[in-house]
Amino acid sequence: MSAPLVLAIPSKGRLQEESRAVFSRAGLEIVQTGNARSYRGTLTGFDDVEIAFLSAPEIAREIGAGAVHAGITGRDQVEESLTDWERRADFTLPLGFGRCDVVVAVPQAWIDVETMEDLDDVAAAFRPNHGRRLTVATKYINLTRRFFAGHGIADYRIVESLGATEGAPATGAADLIVDITTTGATLRDNGLKILGDGLILRSEAHFVTGLVAEWEPGQKLALRAVLKELGVAPAARGKLLSRLE
Amino acid sequence: MNAAMTFGPLRALLSDAGYSFVEPPILHDARIFVELAGEDLRRRLYLTNASDGAELALRPDYTIPVCLAHLANGAANRRADYAYLGPVFRQRGGEVGEFLQAGVESLGRGDRAAADADTLALAIRATEALGLSDLRIRIGDQALFIATLDALGLDGPWRRRLARTFGDTERLKALIGRATNGAKHEGKPDRRAALRQARDLLEASGLATIGSRTAGEIADRVVEKAALAIGIGPRARKVLERFLAIEGTPTQAIRKLRSLSEKEGLDISAAIDRFEKRAEALAKRGIKLSTLSFAADFGRRLDYYTGFVFEIHDAARTDGRQVVGGGRYDRLLAMIGHGKAIPAVGFAIWLDRIGSGQ
Repeated sequence: MSAPLVLAIPSKGRLQEESRAVFSRAGLEIVQTGNARSYRGTLTGFDDVEIAFLSAPEIAREIGAGAVHAGITGRDQVEESLTDWERRADFTLPLGFGRCDVVVAVPQAWIDVETMEDLDDVAAAFRPNHGRRLTVATKYINLTRRFFAGHGIADYRIVESLGATEGAPATGAADLIVDITTTGATLRDNGLKILGDGLILRSEAHFVTGLVAEWEPGQKLALRAVLKELGVAPAARGKLLSRLE
Repeated sequence: MNAAMTFGPLRALLSDAGYSFVEPPILHDARIFVELAGEDLRRRLYLTNASDGAELALRPDYTIPVCLAHLANGAANRRADYAYLGPVFRQRGGEVGEFLQAGVESLGRGDRAAADADTLALAIRATEALGLSDLRIRIGDQALFIATLDALGLDGPWRRRLARTFGDTERLKALIGRATNGAKHEGKPDRRAALRQARDLLEASGLATIGSRTAGEIADRVVEKAALAIGIGPRARKVLERFLAIEGTPTQAIRKLRSLSEKEGLDISAAIDRFEKRAEALAKRGIKLSTLSFAADFGRRLDYYTGFVFEIHDAARTDGRQVVGGGRYDRLLAMIGHGKAIPAVGFAIWLDRIGSGQ
């Protein structure tokens, strides 16, 4: 038998449940091989598919590195982890879960700041007044850099955040944040507000196909069959397959 | 390649011109580069961590390390002429991250026109010593743009936005368009009400204000924002657009600038005089002015650059990248040392772009 198609699925939590449900609805089951802690699995009815359980950020990186053929992960993870994601990944199918917005949020007390242009004014004046640059806490370093550069904002510094980003302005770890939100409630509870034009990315979980993996003919056939079960239209499948090496 | 064994003629040229070779450390506290050049530089830094967690960076250029060494070794405003040749480190997708740069930094010279001219003349001789002959030299002068903003009587937030966008012409033109009629703004600014509101919100949300924006700062900007409603007006727009379109040899540029100044009743003659004095100094050093192309919109978007800037291109290179970049950065030493502005001018040669990529 030729090498299997490697499909990466989130290894835990809601994302894994929802991912399993996507396949269940299509009549397919993901079965963990060995014990419940195993990081490998199979897809019922597909002998030529291997499931790899990874964290959502790992899935994005492994797709970018060509180490897995496809997977389920958030658009935010892909655009953040892969600076040239257009070349490396195809957002084949939006899955309707894991919805979140990546946004720029500042303290509500900044009543003078409503837009990115206001923020640019504040950033430019900050260093002369405070002797340091304005700081932005985020785990979305690349998305932040791209978005701020797109608005011509240069006078700031990113403070990498590893969790509870929304608390950074309260603890003094940073002046503002870039983070994900679904309803905005957590941001409001932390005394923050989203800038009017501060939406960086509207994200949801996708079936993502890797464009840089090595694709053997059998793996392409397996991908085509899986996508058919998931309801991807024939024309879209054909177009995607033509992009794979 | 062993830097010490090569580039003999270049080293001799810079030494003979009175510059002392220095070799500052390769490893630095990363914060200094990010604080001075901004987040955009950080993605190009090679970063590592000390065991105590401090973030360290390999030097991405020599200018900041040379200036740090200068400040560490004596009075900031003393005269010093430094030269360097060695490796710098930048992430640049697809290209080697370690590459050689050579250059000079001339600090503390009050005769700015002569220092500018000496620096460009030396840069040209340096490229010739490296075997380049067909050069394209671009020059610019941010001081002319600032003088134009002054002469138009612009102040407040629009002026600051225009000043800091200089060097990014596309964005600057769009900004001038937006600034012409001003921004929509409702209600009258009430500083006391704004101060109260900001203070209450800071308190309610328990935000740390130590080191961050204070209620007073926020209230000041609420008042200032109201000034955005008053645009710069159609005349300023016309003058700025005409100014930014000026290009040509220094001689042509001076004529066009004087003509703009007369027709528009714009008092920028002091800045033009300084530009002319520099051009004369360049001619005195044997540089044919007809070989220089001035563009009024050419500047560098780093806030420590203050005036004269130049780029030397090798006509044989097809990628459009400069082989030498230089200019005046009178604000840098003040920004590092929190002191007063100190005259500083220099250039860097991208040695990896000499004789390659053609």
